[in-house]
Amino acid sequence: MSRIKIFGYADRISARPGDPIEIMVSAEGTDAVQAQLVRLIHGDENPAGPGFVEREVAWLGNGWHAARKQYAQLGSFLRVPDPEGRLALPGSFTLHAFIHPGLPAAGRQTVMGRWCMETATGYGLGINAEGHAELWIGDGATVDYVAAEVPLFAHCWYFVAATYDASSRMATLYQEAVINRYNSLLGHVAPIDYGSHVSLRLRVQPRHGADIPFLIAGASDRNEARGRFVAQCYNGKIDRCGVHARVLSRAELDALRGGAEPPADAVVARWDTTRGYTDRGIGDLVEDTGPHGLHGRGFNRPVRAMTGWNWNGRDDNFRLAPEQYGGIEFHEDALIDCQWQPTLTAALPEDLRSGVYAVRLRAGEAGNAAEEHVVFFVRPRAPAGRICMLMPTSSYLAYANEHLSFDAPIAQVITAHSIIVAEPDIEMYKNREFGLSTYDLHADGAGVCYSSYRRPIVNMRPRHRMPATGLPWQFPADLSIVYWLEKMGYDYDVLTDEDLHRDGATALQPYRMVINGTHAEYYSERMLDATEDYLARGGRVLYLSGNGYYWVCAYRDEEPWVMEVRKLDSGSRAWQARPGEHYLATTGERSGLWRNRGRPPQKVVGTGFTSEGMDESRPYRRMPDSYHRSVAWIFEGVEGETIGDFGLALGGAAGVEIDRYDLSLGTPPHARILASSEGHSDNYPKVAEEIMYNFPGMGGTQDPQIRADMVYFTTPNHGAVFAPSSIAWGQALPCNDCDNNVSRVMKNVVEAFLKEGPLPGGAWIAEEKHWQ
Amino acid sequence: MSAPEDTPVGGWRNPQLEHDPARAKVRPVLSAVGRRRWWFKLKGGGDRLWRRVRYPFTRRTVLRIRGEYNPKTLARERTVVDKRPIWWLIGLTLLAVLPPLSGNTSLLSAATIFAIYASINLVWMLIIGTAGIFSLATLAVVGASAYGAAWLSIQHGLPWWGMISTGAGLGLAFGVIVALPAIRLEGFYYALLTLGLVELCRVYVVQSKVFGSATGGLYGADTYVPEALQDSDGAVLLGYAAAFVMLLAMLGLYRLVNGQRLGRLLRTAREDEAFAEAVGIGYDRARVQVFLISSVALGAIGGFYASHFKGVSPSIFSTDQLLLMLAMIVIGGIGTAEGAVVGTLIVVLLDKLLIEWGPMRLVLIGLIMLGTVLFTRGGLFGIKSQFRAWRERRKSERRAARTEKGGEVVPEEATDIHDKQAIYYRRQDKLIRDYLRTLVTDELIEEHRRKPLGQHSEALERVLNYFRRGPVPDKYAVMAIKPFEAYRVVALAGRRGVPPRLVDDRVYPTLEEAYHAVFLRRVNDLLES
Repeated sequence: MSRIKIFGYADRISARPGDPIEIMVSAEGTDAVQAQLVRLIHGDENPAGPGFVEREVAWLGNGWHAARKQYAQLGSFLRVPDPEGRLALPGSFTLHAFIHPGLPAAGRQTVMGRWCMETATGYGLGINAEGHAELWIGDGATVDYVAAEVPLFAHCWYFVAATYDASSRMATLYQEAVINRYNSLLGHVAPIDYGSHVSLRLRVQPRHGADIPFLIAGASDRNEARGRFVAQCYNGKIDRCGVHARVLSRAELDALRGGAEPPADAVVARWDTTRGYTDRGIGDLVEDTGPHGLHGRGFNRPVRAMTGWNWNGRDDNFRLAPEQYGGIEFHEDALIDCQWQPTLTAALPEDLRSGVYAVRLRAGEAGNAAEEHVVFFVRPRAPAGRICMLMPTSSYLAYANEHLSFDAPIAQVITAHSIIVAEPDIEMYKNREFGLSTYDLHADGAGVCYSSYRRPIVNMRPRHRMPATGLPWQFPADLSIVYWLEKMGYDYDVLTDEDLHRDGATALQPYRMVINGTHAEYYSERMLDATEDYLARGGRVLYLSGNGYYWVCAYRDEEPWVMEVRKLDSGSRAWQARPGEHYLATTGERSGLWRNRGRPPQKVVGTGFTSEGMDESRPYRRMPDSYHRSVAWIFEGVEGETIGDFGLALGGAAGVEIDRYDLSLGTPPHARILASSEGHSDNYPKVAEEIMYNFPGMGGTQDPQIRADMVYFTTPNHGAVFAPSSIAWGQALPCNDCDNNVSRVMKNVVEAFLKEGPLPGGAWIAEEKHWQ
Repeated sequence: MSAPEDTPVGGWRNPQLEHDPARAKVRPVLSAVGRRRWWFKLKGGGDRLWRRVRYPFTRRTVLRIRGEYNPKTLARERTVVDKRPIWWLIGLTLLAVLPPLSGNTSLLSAATIFAIYASINLVWMLIIGTAGIFSLATLAVVGASAYGAAWLSIQHGLPWWGMISTGAGLGLAFGVIVALPAIRLEGFYYALLTLGLVELCRVYVVQSKVFGSATGGLYGADTYVPEALQDSDGAVLLGYAAAFVMLLAMLGLYRLVNGQRLGRLLRTAREDEAFAEAVGIGYDRARVQVFLISSVALGAIGGFYASHFKGVSPSIFSTDQLLLMLAMIVIGGIGTAEGAVVGTLIVVLLDKLLIEWGPMRLVLIGLIMLGTVLFTRGGLFGIKSQFRAWRERRKSERRAARTEKGGEVVPEEATDIHDKQAIYYRRQDKLIRDYLRTLVTDELIEEHRRKPLGQHSEALERVLNYFRRGPVPDKYAVMAIKPFEAYRVVALAGRRGVPPRLVDDRVYPTLEEAYHAVFLRRVNDLLES
């Protein structure tokens, strides 16, 4: 029997008790999986902590379910529904498109066509295996081609067209570059003659299969196991393109290349990729302005709002000049939604307590067993607790199935140790159908800007340890805070970023306090607004993140499972968007760092990102201001100066990613630094956005800005922020079964925040008259 | 006060300045590279429409041309990938024009004999090269058909065109008989068998009254030369023209059989016979098919032969004749049409033009044949690829002798590297490695063992930073078999989708020990390079 493998995902990440939930499973080596609903309490197996803790919960869906191997469609493309078969062109035709190939010599790629790989019928315009533009035509028995004379240069704009004369079977390929000073990798300096015009009498007439779809950026294929699917996907951008039912002359094509509209007669389709843009974002529909309305529909989110062939470099965003932003970028390895069939669908128990849950899937027995946790979060039907544990699901999405540890040569220098891989990581790495994270690059080197949870995410699982850091990262690390809440007996509700984004401040309003996860890095505008409004109205936040509120991300209301982010010219970034492509297609906002849009995290929670390192965490030492009676209550019962010289994350409470107080970045002027970490290694360098001029000595052993600040300040209406500002803080809580000074400080703060009205220490506001 | 040279300045040495070329074990020779182009290159098309034309009924365009950018200038160029059609055109034109223009009858007859032999050799090449059957019965088939056709013409008045078609039929019959043992017998035994067959034919016709044992051959067969032209210079010219047309026909046949389905199939099968059988390529079947087609062609040539010479003599079966033809094939190189034709041309020229040398010319032919066998792998037409392979081998040998592994790039290596920054990376890498090697001490290794993570001494940080920054392919990493219990060392693939490979079977109980095992491997690699 083959090795058993189980992978799954849920249709939603946030549910209420009683909501139906669908679990999609792909299983190999077994034809059934055993499902069990579990409540997750702790996820880190580190023997210095409580270990993995889950509790089984009675549920209708528990038990065995039939499962099989499921496939996913990889690659982004446009599908053109054509029920009347108008694109099954009976006679002569012309295909034309502006293209900006990203990876021209990576095997055959289809730019556009009604081509069936299985039967070798139809026609296609694309790039052949040698990287030349090519038209191919097949009649089922023979495929014939006409290719351009020279290969295409990557990342340069071209206009390519192919004409086919049905009476003479004469095919002509047209290729000319449309390069200006801004739009391409190369400018006018490189002495390159890009153009090519080749004609050849073909040996076949196209034959058209009955239900072959017309695709842009892919071609249709079929096999027994999967049925019909799309292959030969294209890497790169495509701008305005179309199909004509006659041979366009050289002069007509030259005019098209110059930006003219195609001649009105015999237009079959004319996709104007710049139509339908709004100030608030761009959808997946690509409009056909031709007579038949053959609109294309994007699959796996082709990336829009990209610069087009005619981008002039002055208007740097699609809202200013939509007509210059016709580029749609496609990737053969894009994946948004696996679209698996549900393996089990059942309503969650009506009396389910809000919390972190998973459907645990098991199959096999000792020696060949597999286990998978499909994680989701249950919010209360109506707010019940007084504490809101806000799970940073946007950031889970950003890191979902990251390949950084495997692919990036710099991963080991950033983290300062060898990467540590485990079986699930290797399985994920082997399987392209699990998609990429926003820390990865597509095959052609472009950064991945979309991530979704409609696919198995191996690092959003209890027990998972991130290969690059060797630590629980994001979700499994956040379970350490959940464990602390359980252990301390607080009644808390669990909300997700998705709920916060959808409901805004009203989602938080019922709660006395909000506790952040360990790394709430990705924030949409609505999420940040809600947090700010909540604090301004008297809310209280425990900002337990390092490097939180950092990247600007966005969601479409109707597809909350897909997040978009663009990494711009600053910040710790795995990639960098090309010039002119800095605005989110989802909302039309500028992406990048919140700091660069005038909202540094210091402005909201007092601290913001300053450094990261994964070799060692350090303790905090109390700062003199912590002895002021207005805040000294936070340290009640804490002995000595040192706090957190232990922890599941590298042996300290201050580390991994750390934030700093800075008045120049908007830390409220009355905020106090209660404690700071010290003694970080040089593997904690200063973050890029803090560096104007680079000079030696920016590491932890020399730079005074390399520290985690524990900051406290009050907000209007008895609100307050407590910000220890370190990823490792949450993972220090469960040490010694929550009997430690980090836990004590947390408890002091939480107990105070639970009480309505004035906060402790509020009386000590007079000017000090010191005698000593 | 101490003297300046006594002032302690610490141990820092700049690796960039450490490098002393004089101390290097291998001193790279930085010689000039670059080559002038003497050959004419076609210019690229650019704006103009390039009308490509195909040979009728085929996919092949008239010339196989690759369009490309010259990497030195980015200029557009067209390279004729396969220049053979051009050489064939020139060669055949010369062959068609020169002998008739010379006005020399003996040269013309020699050219006619060349054309006939070249035709036979082309077909033979199909048998030996394409089908891979080492048959020496070629002349037996030609001779048998010639005898048959001549006999029918003399006895029953068969006209010359009937002689050619009857010859083809006789060739087929003969081919069927000879083909059968080819499947059963190994190459050498089969060659012996066919040699015996030729000898048998010779002995038979020498003794047979019917086939003219008394007259030394059969004479008086019909000929394609019209009565009016008989015994004139015109007849010689016509003879040459006819033989030349036959040569063209055999070239066409060679192209058809070798270049189309059968030939492709056999070439595929020869790479891996078992694989070919598995995917359903009938190797033996295809070989026999080629053999039979060839036999028909040889028979037709035999018929033409008899009609050309108005008869046939037993010398056609003679072993010396056979060996002479073998020399032609061997000199030209087995497996190519041009080898068959040019090999024949050389031997016929030597044989006919050096006639006053007497038997010494045969010694010369033998020497040339010996030379080709000893010094070339594929005859005359294999010399080019043989030369290239030799140059390639010599290049890598000399490079290996003059450079060190992971060392600086030498000029002739740089020409092969597209991204020129990579050349600097190699230089920098070498400098750093040379320097880091001096830092590795037992104390340094012990320092890492005690504390693999966190701040280290200056020397260890430098060594670690270098290790950690290295490229991903074959980079060491740790694999958690069971977290906090069992770890192993793996090496990353550096290619998406390819899992890491285990480097050994050691299991480490703690992560710290695994880190240190990775470190020791890297140190080892550093010291070894």
